[in-house]
Amino acid sequence: MTAHTTIGQAVPMIDARERVTGTISYVLDVELPGMLYARILRSPYPHARLTRVDASAALGVEGVIATLTRDDFNDPAIKPVYGPQIKDNPILAMDKVRFVGDPVAAVAAESESAADEALLLIEADYEELSAVFDAYEAAQPGAPLIHPMSEDWIGTSAYFDMRPQPNTNIAHRFRIRHGEVERGFSEADIVLEETFRTPAAAHCAMEPHVCVAHFETPDRLVVYSATQTPFNTRDALAEMFSLPKENVQVFVRTLGGSYGSKTFPHVEPIAAALARKAGRPVKLVLRREEEFVTLNRHPVVARVKMGVKRTGEITAKQVWLYYDTGAYADTGPGVAQKGGYASVGPYKIPHVWVDSHCVYTNLPPNGAFRGYGVTQCAFASEMMMDIAAHAIGLDPVEFRVRNLLHEGDQFATGETLEDVAFEECLRDAARAVNWQAGVRADLSDGRVRGKGVCVLLKGMTTPSRSSARVEIDQNGQVTVHMGTIEMGQGARTIAAQIAADVLGVDYARLTLTLPDTNATPFDVRTTASRSTYMMGQAIRNAANDLAAKLRSHAALFMGVQPHELELRGGAIFAAGKSAPLGEIVQRAEVEKLVGEGEFRNVGSLNPDTGQGVASSHWHLGAVAVEVEVDTETGQVRLTHVHAATYAGRVINRFTAELQNEGSVIMGIGSALFEEIKFDGGQVSNPNLSDYMIPSIMDLPDRLTQHLIEREGAPSHGLGETALPAIPAAVGNAVAHAIGYRVRSLPITPEKVLRAIIEKADQP
Amino acid sequence: MKLDFILNGQSVSLDDVPTSATLLDVLRDHLKLTGTRLTCGIGMCGACTVLVDGEALSGCLLLVPMVAGRNITTIEGLAAPDGPLDPVQQAFVDCMGLQCSYCTPGFILATHALLKANPQPSDQQIKEYLAGNLCRCGSYYKIMDAVRLASERLHQAQRTS
Repeated sequence: MTAHTTIGQAVPMIDARERVTGTISYVLDVELPGMLYARILRSPYPHARLTRVDASAALGVEGVIATLTRDDFNDPAIKPVYGPQIKDNPILAMDKVRFVGDPVAAVAAESESAADEALLLIEADYEELSAVFDAYEAAQPGAPLIHPMSEDWIGTSAYFDMRPQPNTNIAHRFRIRHGEVERGFSEADIVLEETFRTPAAAHCAMEPHVCVAHFETPDRLVVYSATQTPFNTRDALAEMFSLPKENVQVFVRTLGGSYGSKTFPHVEPIAAALARKAGRPVKLVLRREEEFVTLNRHPVVARVKMGVKRTGEITAKQVWLYYDTGAYADTGPGVAQKGGYASVGPYKIPHVWVDSHCVYTNLPPNGAFRGYGVTQCAFASEMMMDIAAHAIGLDPVEFRVRNLLHEGDQFATGETLEDVAFEECLRDAARAVNWQAGVRADLSDGRVRGKGVCVLLKGMTTPSRSSARVEIDQNGQVTVHMGTIEMGQGARTIAAQIAADVLGVDYARLTLTLPDTNATPFDVRTTASRSTYMMGQAIRNAANDLAAKLRSHAALFMGVQPHELELRGGAIFAAGKSAPLGEIVQRAEVEKLVGEGEFRNVGSLNPDTGQGVASSHWHLGAVAVEVEVDTETGQVRLTHVHAATYAGRVINRFTAELQNEGSVIMGIGSALFEEIKFDGGQVSNPNLSDYMIPSIMDLPDRLTQHLIEREGAPSHGLGETALPAIPAAVGNAVAHAIGYRVRSLPITPEKVLRAIIEKADQP
Repeated sequence: MKLDFILNGQSVSLDDVPTSATLLDVLRDHLKLTGTRLTCGIGMCGACTVLVDGEALSGCLLLVPMVAGRNITTIEGLAAPDGPLDPVQQAFVDCMGLQCSYCTPGFILATHALLKANPQPSDQQIKEYLAGNLCRCGSYYKIMDAVRLASERLHQAQRTS
């Protein structure tokens, strides 16, 4: 480390100037010569047989160059089905439509208005089938079957074993079998059982889904896509169009927000199929209402049964989870699995059984959403912790502390936990809201205050791999090549800071290339808050590799030993001598010196027993909130939110705080008002007027945070640690305030009032 | 229709603009000024905020006949490509009041309009003024810091001048 390191400091993003001048480039801004505009005809039915589709009249509209229907997929070179974990998603409807909004046909035209006009001329006939809109109902025998389940369905990006259940709508079943749960319940003084529900939510990235696809030759496909997963998207497209991987080149620019919505292909297959047919580049930009039928957050039904002793020990826990993955699985299996083990919570429980189901319904597809299934199960399991604490008359913080896992303890998966700090996080959160002073206060004017907490454990993609390349040229210019996608989290800035730290140069002068699957070293994807930890170490390794090369070349002409050389201030120093870094490259008589680095994590879980390694590295934190409830209106106001988030080691104070604050704010939306509403399977609030996201007016009166660091610890991702904890903490606080509990999200004024009036839900 | 207006201090004359086009369409598609952003299309999010005769308005709601002859400022009009940043932009950098920055031009232009109308706003006034600009990344606290800093700096610059 150099004396001038920026590690841990609040330094501006490396591309801050482009960002505030509006010149930074998004894929939405990409235009190619001869480019056409695509529009999609979507199903008006939630579940129907597609008996006829005829797009021939659409070609009569001036400016229309190509149409696309299932008839175009008779071509043996096209495998028209994709899906990251289960290959169930046709490019366009083949025999059936499975949700309101399922793509049926598409058009490419010289203008969007011509494409829109052409959509009106496409004829499609349907024969309606019975539909199902609830994951629990869809998992029962006799529910309408949405897909034929087959074994050869496993997707190109699956990283764990799938357990589709034949002749049901269950796309994946994940189980934990740890101990004997019935014995645990028999040892309990009290056994509690509760059901909780969370709704669909929308990511609402400000930049819509967008891509530009172009077959430069019949066997070379170039795609510009706003995606978090360029390599996975490349692999999927290569398979779909029977091309070698290197013939599919995916370019990514900075993303205008994503939060999980832009993981794996959604718009690319249709754009590419149209481009192939039209022989021209095709741009597909989703309209805002289409965003609401493309990828949402899984609605969940969660049943939790817990046995506790009066002395405060949890003896057993059993959880049944139903993740509604909608009409296509997308990452639903992974979400259900991650939610499955996270539903145990950060507690030492001798007997744990979990049955987590990823279930098809006739709603739009659900997939990765900041929090990845943990928001839903944490709402259930952390509300249950408060219910149990009250049942045995213990303080909810004290009850948690008695059961929390510590460093070296065994989790329900059998793995040993390392680098964790649950108790530190919880105590920090409780202290911040002055928990000891009491969890309820009546303001005697119709308003009551309540406090609530939630502790959170969340895993990270395991196994996975990140690699990076750091180069220096004869002018001393350092360039970092990495596949991590910048989507506002500051990934490019911390990559520059880490490389600069090793090489002793100014981070702000580094160059970073944009992701290009033909030129950028492989990275599995930008998800799961894995990049700071995984890619950060790959970059450090690459920079160390480069530093070693600089030292060994400099040692030759400076006449010293490599280990005597120190890198700082853009130069290399030893024994009173120095040389600028560019000179070392010149003396080495090469164009540039190149350092390469990689970082891998390993492990896997058995989906039938839940035993193995869930995560090589944990995201953890605790949240405490204080709410003020107006008992006349049911309005919940957040007076104080504190997020204690384990950071291990902060790289950039600004971006770490921004991610943590943004996580809290998104969590507030989920806690209090965000919900996609459906009427017969159709989204009834598909716009930013009827679907509300937090504005600056929705901020808590006070937000405090503590990014907990530990000497020698690695950096932990923290982009989605606070979010999943907010709804449960708010729910627990509201329960303390009003004496009744709202068991479903969002916690709206209507539900709060109903709880007060009906006194139905005891805490 | 033929459209004439002042854009970032320069006269612009466009032939053959459909009357159904919005100012947002004209800026992005005709003039390739991509700092004005498309998000909701219904005036709810503020990503397409521009200044029309100094007033912060949503470009997606302005049909071209409504802007004929008006003086429009977009984010591209605040700083020369290699010149210094304008004080509001600089405050957003110094406080890091952004994440994905898709909404940032809208926030910066709205802040300009706010500080012109109310050079030293209270926190509540800042919130009320910026309530129509959404940031899904949730950078609001540092945006507030940036607005306060810009207000302070502009106020100091005015006192010393």
